[in-house]
Amino acid sequence: MEKRQDIVLGLIFVGIGIFAAWMATSYKGASGTYPMVLGLVLTLLGATVSIKALRQPTDQPRALVNAPAKLGTAALVSAIYVALVIPLGFYTASFLLVLAMPLALGFRRLVYALTVAAVFMSLIYLVFSVLLEKPLPRELILSLNAVGG
Amino acid sequence: MEFYTNALSHVLSFGPLTAMIGATLLGVFIGALPGLNPVMAIALLLPLTYSMDPLVALAMVAGIYNGSMYGGAIPAILLRIPGTPASIATTFDGFPMADRGEASKALKIACWSSAIGGIASAIALMTMGPMLARVTLFFGPAEYFWIAIFGMASVAVMVGSDPVKGIMAAVLGLLIGTIGIDNLSGQARFTFGQTWLLGGLDLIVVLVGLYALPPVLQLAEKCDLKGLSAAQLKLADVPFKKGEIRGLIPTWLRASGIGIGVGILPGAGGNIAAFLSYNAAKNASDDPSSFGKGNPQGVAAAECGNNADNAASMIPALALGIPGNVVAALVLSALTIHGLQPGPQLFHQNPTLVGGFMMEMLITSVLIFALGGAVATRVFAQFQRLPGVLLVPTILILMCVGVYVINGRAIDLWVMLAAGFAGYFLEKVNFPLAPVILGMILGPMAEQSVRRALLISRGDMTELVTRPISAVLAAVTVLVIVWPLVKMVRRRRKPAEQ
Amino acid sequence: MTLKATFIGLTAAAAMAAPAFAEYPDRTIELTIPAGAGGGTDTSARKLALLLEEKLGTSIAILNVGGGGGSVGASQFMQAKPDGYALFATWNSPLTTVPQVQDVAYSLDSFTPIASTSETAYTLCVKADFPVTTGADFLAELEANPGKYTYGNDGIGGTMQLAAERIFQAKGIDAVAIPFGGAGETLQNFLGGHVDIYGGSISTVLPYVESGEAKCPIVTSAADVPALEGASGLEALGLADKETLLWRAILGPKDMDPAVVEMLANVIDEAVNDPSYVEFLATKGEVPNVVKGDALGARLQSEYDALAEVSKALGL
Repeated sequence: MEKRQDIVLGLIFVGIGIFAAWMATSYKGASGTYPMVLGLVLTLLGATVSIKALRQPTDQPRALVNAPAKLGTAALVSAIYVALVIPLGFYTASFLLVLAMPLALGFRRLVYALTVAAVFMSLIYLVFSVLLEKPLPRELILSLNAVGG
Repeated sequence: MEFYTNALSHVLSFGPLTAMIGATLLGVFIGALPGLNPVMAIALLLPLTYSMDPLVALAMVAGIYNGSMYGGAIPAILLRIPGTPASIATTFDGFPMADRGEASKALKIACWSSAIGGIASAIALMTMGPMLARVTLFFGPAEYFWIAIFGMASVAVMVGSDPVKGIMAAVLGLLIGTIGIDNLSGQARFTFGQTWLLGGLDLIVVLVGLYALPPVLQLAEKCDLKGLSAAQLKLADVPFKKGEIRGLIPTWLRASGIGIGVGILPGAGGNIAAFLSYNAAKNASDDPSSFGKGNPQGVAAAECGNNADNAASMIPALALGIPGNVVAALVLSALTIHGLQPGPQLFHQNPTLVGGFMMEMLITSVLIFALGGAVATRVFAQFQRLPGVLLVPTILILMCVGVYVINGRAIDLWVMLAAGFAGYFLEKVNFPLAPVILGMILGPMAEQSVRRALLISRGDMTELVTRPISAVLAAVTVLVIVWPLVKMVRRRRKPAEQ
Repeated sequence: MTLKATFIGLTAAAAMAAPAFAEYPDRTIELTIPAGAGGGTDTSARKLALLLEEKLGTSIAILNVGGGGGSVGASQFMQAKPDGYALFATWNSPLTTVPQVQDVAYSLDSFTPIASTSETAYTLCVKADFPVTTGADFLAELEANPGKYTYGNDGIGGTMQLAAERIFQAKGIDAVAIPFGGAGETLQNFLGGHVDIYGGSISTVLPYVESGEAKCPIVTSAADVPALEGASGLEALGLADKETLLWRAILGPKDMDPAVVEMLANVIDEAVNDPSYVEFLATKGEVPNVVKGDALGARLQSEYDALAEVSKALGL
């Protein structure tokens, strides 16, 4: 396990290093030298990691993920949230996330989740929209309202 | 002396005093929330300074600046999520301490160390400001190059069990640091035709992703549906051992010195100060291997170092009109708006205002003693009582809002997610993350300085080491790299002799 | 919203424009600044935004998008909706200089010029012990010693560098450009003696001219600058056509409603000439300068063309 992971890790960095060095060849003058050196060093280091792992006699178990199902769910829900922040608006998407994430992970106390969502979102609103006046992605619901009215 | 007594009487009136207390509290919160940073908050306060009594406005700047530098330690200790880039070094020992039930002790040490660093820095600003400012002028591009390399040497303490992977992490950070327009040639590097990459990857965006997302994903994996009771919160007071606090004093002195030294140099920041202080504490220790496993000295060094940077970073700004970082630039622009001209005459032009601001930097540091601990344990630690599955979305939202407001664009959220997923797997294969951030911070500084130095010397490499200060810096850098090796060899020899 | 907008377009525009104009502005305006917080552009824009908030009766939220010499902010802003709620407060460089050296996605046509706000010149300064003092002698000294002197500037291909190179080209001068991150950094290296000549904004170096530590032989405007007594304007040196200024303006995205543009331009005019703002500008060595609408567009275009010539000659 550990052996195979380190070999792959090393190879990934060899790849990144070669790619960076190759990109750097097209940069003019001194601006290309530095990234090219970095790319080549990264390639060398990656190869070292891979070779070291290959030579290692023992292979200890090392789990990459402890609970694949939970991790997958959390990752997917996070990605959907980020994708929805702009179209739905920040507060709508975030409110949905506070409800959806625990539900997806097996939490069934809906009232508890709703209370936390409400309290937390009002705090965020107070800090970012009232106190700091930061522009956040606009709420779709509000513009729907505007068209309807 | 009259300079300060006069200023003190103005500062200790109702307006500035309440502003300092409120802003210090606010600062602790801002620092503690990953993604939110003092620059953002101070930039928003700036317009208020136009219409407000400037001493009140500057009181808020001082409070937020000092408070947030400490606040970053709170999530660093409790959750291993650094609230600001400067508190990465705090996670090294702070989280292991919390993990073994000493969260409250770690928070106390962080709080005291921050306050002490801040106080030492403010005293340096008040007593030696103009003199130190002149010293910074001797630092040209060649010297900055060596400072960056010196900082890079501290990567040695954070490489973990596998040095090759540690160095690989640092090189990756350096490479990420080259993304964007090269200031010296106008060449766009690694931007793949994307305009949003022209400015490079934002440090905060990468930091939040790399450091905050893996713990959040792990929380989701643990899938705790119940939450902790008050008793399980592990905030029980672990008493200090006899002499333990006294043992921290040398660390505090050293870290304050380093923080002030880094602070007065324009361009070098609190994050470098924290790493260097941590490195120095480890090198000076009798038992370097205990660092990274919950040694209180590590927390003290990092937190003291990053707060000691604060007031010192105002020295070149107030004495020369050269802002060393964004907060200093904001303070300068607040002063210009009140008709003051930053530069050597500032101290004579309006002594009440300049002296008052320095006093406020001092008083807000003292306030951290009084306010910091309570905020950490009464408010932030209580968050952990929520069921883990509810912490997952709430931290995620805080991360996203913090990242989004930096540049107001959605693409940064994706960068953060990508960095976070990468960070999750990299940690699992013993790939340290701190060197990546260090590389991102120091890389551009090292590259630009060395190229500038060579432009000035018309390509003559020897000028990098023949100038007096750069020669000293180069020697010290070599020493810092060699010293731990010497120590290690000695320690190995000792048991052999016995 | 889009449906409504199309509808307005379809019906008699003149009749509908009036009510739309009367409603404007009814919510927060977002002002993008293509530079980090705390710099010259940022401070001027924030101060102006306070006055505009008062006059427009709405709040203005400020978004700093730094990087790429302003091109990151400009590229991001270009995609904003031209509804009058997205405005762009910039200095001239991201629009007229940066596109010469970077491959940017925007052109002057990507924006609606609303009004310029203020302007100032750049200056070249030397230490008090520099052998010469007057503008003419300074240029002669540089001309006589090709490659000897280094001058700090705000970044490669920046307006400051182009301003200096326009003069140098006319005189056949060869000086070594050392790019720094901004005027503050240039000043630090100038005071420390790491570069021979300071090149940058007047306000940054002014305290050291007053204290006698530095002297400024030249400013890059045609006329002299009252704050810098010893400095020659370019007209006095016979180089009036080589004038390059630092100026600031507020723009909108492409295709803004002309009625809104006109209204905004008038409000900006009022705000800039407010005594408190004029006084604020004076502390920074700037003077109010309001050029509105199409005239501003023409000014941008002519500056763009002039700088294109220099940068081509420089091989940037």
